[in-house]
Amino acid sequence: MNRVHFKHISLLFLVATLNLLTVPQSYGENVSVAATVDKNHLSLEDVLHLSIIIKGTQNTPPPELPSMPDFRVISAGTSSSTQYINTQRSVSITHNFRLTPMNTGTFVIGPVRVRVNGKTYSTQPISIKVEKPSTQGATGLKNAFVEASLSNKKAYIGEQLVYTFRLFHRVDAKNLNLKLPFDKAWFSKEELGEPKSYTKVINGMQYHVQELSTALFPLKTGLHEIASSVIDLDLLYPTQSRSRRDPFGQFFNDPFFGRRTQAEHKVLRSESLSIEILTLPDGAPKGFDNLIGQFEISAEPGKSNLEVGDTTTLTVTISGKGNIRDITLKEPSLNGKFKTYPDKPEFHQTVQNNQIFGKKVFKFALVPLEAGNRILPKFSLPYFDSAMSQYRVAETQPIPLTIRPSSTKEELNLVQSGKQNVPVPKPEIETLGRDILPIFTKLEKFQNSESDTHSLTFLGTGFGSPLILFMLAAILIKQQKRMKHDVAYYRHRNAYKNATQRLKQMSSFEHSDAKEFGRVLSEILREYIGNKLNLQGKATTAEEVEIRLKESDYEAANMTRKFLDKCETLQFAPLASGSTKELLGESENLIKLLEKQS
Amino acid sequence: MKFSNGFSLILLFVLILFTSLPTNASEYLQEIVRANDLYSEKRFTESAQVYESLIANGVRNGYLYYNLGNTYIRMGKTGPAVLNYIRARKWIPRDENLEANLKFAIQQTQDKIDLPPSGTLSTLFFWSKDFNLSELIKISMLLNLVFWITLALWMYFRTSPLQIARNALLGLLLLSFFSIGVKLVNKSDFDLGVVLAKRVEVKSGRAKDAVTLFQLHEGALVKISDSHESWLEVRLNDEQKGWVPKTAIGI
Repeated sequence: MNRVHFKHISLLFLVATLNLLTVPQSYGENVSVAATVDKNHLSLEDVLHLSIIIKGTQNTPPPELPSMPDFRVISAGTSSSTQYINTQRSVSITHNFRLTPMNTGTFVIGPVRVRVNGKTYSTQPISIKVEKPSTQGATGLKNAFVEASLSNKKAYIGEQLVYTFRLFHRVDAKNLNLKLPFDKAWFSKEELGEPKSYTKVINGMQYHVQELSTALFPLKTGLHEIASSVIDLDLLYPTQSRSRRDPFGQFFNDPFFGRRTQAEHKVLRSESLSIEILTLPDGAPKGFDNLIGQFEISAEPGKSNLEVGDTTTLTVTISGKGNIRDITLKEPSLNGKFKTYPDKPEFHQTVQNNQIFGKKVFKFALVPLEAGNRILPKFSLPYFDSAMSQYRVAETQPIPLTIRPSSTKEELNLVQSGKQNVPVPKPEIETLGRDILPIFTKLEKFQNSESDTHSLTFLGTGFGSPLILFMLAAILIKQQKRMKHDVAYYRHRNAYKNATQRLKQMSSFEHSDAKEFGRVLSEILREYIGNKLNLQGKATTAEEVEIRLKESDYEAANMTRKFLDKCETLQFAPLASGSTKELLGESENLIKLLEKQS
Repeated sequence: MKFSNGFSLILLFVLILFTSLPTNASEYLQEIVRANDLYSEKRFTESAQVYESLIANGVRNGYLYYNLGNTYIRMGKTGPAVLNYIRARKWIPRDENLEANLKFAIQQTQDKIDLPPSGTLSTLFFWSKDFNLSELIKISMLLNLVFWITLALWMYFRTSPLQIARNALLGLLLLSFFSIGVKLVNKSDFDLGVVLAKRVEVKSGRAKDAVTLFQLHEGALVKISDSHESWLEVRLNDEQKGWVPKTAIGI
């Protein structure tokens, strides 16, 4: 049963796979391409939607659009669809474009080419008529319109002009994209703050107004036309989705639930504006630096009565309307009576009634060098008054200063609680010149550095010697440690020392008892051999000693046995006087010989 | 007893190694005194000759190069001045007077090219910039000695503090070896050169008729990246490089 069931499933899979494999071939052969537009007749404010529909496949490269110099083309994405009708599968893909007309006239959108599987498909050409927008806009019939204005139709070079762009709209406007048209060769511009929003009633119709102003400063003389400003936007129209009779209609049209809207993309253009830019008249005063507008200048000292070495701040303020940011002021010429330290000027700009007003503050720290009554010279600011069309010179008043001799009394600030908050002027040290620092003359610095560290001997000694010393130390340490823990080694190492010490003790006094002398001598020798060979106990016979020595490859084994025999004999047969020294000498030599052979 | 003998040997070695050895100072110190006196008397040309003759005779000392740099500044020769300050940096890299005078000399040049920035290795081993090669070698030697002594002590006493000290010293010793390596690599990778001619044209190839890429003026600092017969490849950065005659550059 299970096997039959499995066979059915396998068959179904096979059929489905074959179906999927064969379908693309069947619809791939019936490819068709078509181009459609949403309208053939439009104004410069409208946007044309062009759709390229490719049926029979979805896997194509983007269509090749013909050249359309009279339109600005923006891709608006693609959409694809798959449909099954009576087991027949049909697929398509649509490439959408948004065309913004740039000129009026009748234009033909040429054939659009699409390549599918190496084959090229073309669409039919489409004829489009573009007209000027209706001139009834400002009367209230239009839902949105724009206007641009210039503060003056004539201006002097460098004079401040204000260009104002306004968008009027009765319905909601979203996705605003404004392009202002200024030519950088003709104007430098400065933004006049954020756009303003307000409402205005025109012919009884209420409009929302978005206003943007820009200050322009002409750079060239001559007649110039400022091109149209262009704004792209989406106008949102509310749609009535429910019948007015529907009791729920008004309830669901409440903004809380979000109104249904329909968007219309528009491109609005302002009128172009012409401007005549004039050269400045002759007769500019001395020091005139292309300053145009209306300005005032004032100067004020921090204190007018001060001591030599004291500091006061002279503040010069220039305020007014015009290109105030560019104003520079030279340091006052004080004939060496003061030291002058200019500070960085401060600049503040305000926009009032779409005009740039500014204030620039120059500060000079003055330190009087001589006592006496001084008058600070006046500051002059020549400028061209554009309103009066004449040159003017703004001036400050001369400032009298009383300079007293320096009081150089030093006060001990032991307790000065009242004066703690008095700011102490920070002394400024002026760099008067630059020079190199002097040569070195201390002779101990001039030791020749070349010879010492780079020689191989030095490097070898420096790096090799500690290693060699460490190896020697390591050997010593190893021996020390073995002596502590290895008894056989300890006995072996100290055997000779102990034996020679005992022999020395024996040689220091006379031995009247030959028997005792022989016994001790024999004991010393057997103890030495016992230590050397790590034998337990001293009661080893001369034969045993010989055997052990022979086992350890001592050549003097036989000689040792004979000497031990002699010592034993001595214990039974008395020795002639003076023979003890010979026997001691013989034993010393024998131990030395055994030590050499060990 | 034997161990104490070994320790005495080590102490003796340290004394020999780090006690300043007598040099043939008297032979050239008098010349330095003479050159300094000539400088004080504003006889800068003669002073420079004495300093140069000392260098020609094999005396290598940072302060000697520094004084020579000062002498050339006084003579108005910014090229040799910058060159000698650069040479002095090899021996006295931490000297503030030298840094100040080198900056001053660079400001006097037309091209005002600053010293090239440190490479990655030099940045990692930042301390190696502040030591000359001899100092780094001596530091390594001292660390080497202390390390082996500590190792021997650890072998004998086997205590934990000695083990930590042994490991730390081994780390420091390896670091000092790397620092020496970095110093040597930097020395060989990019030798600094100074333009000695009043003006030199940097060519695209090793020929006088090759295209002139840019010009350099006396005192300009360049990296020397290659050498071929009588030509040197100099570079200011990755883009500006070319060939100049060897005679125009001081190394």
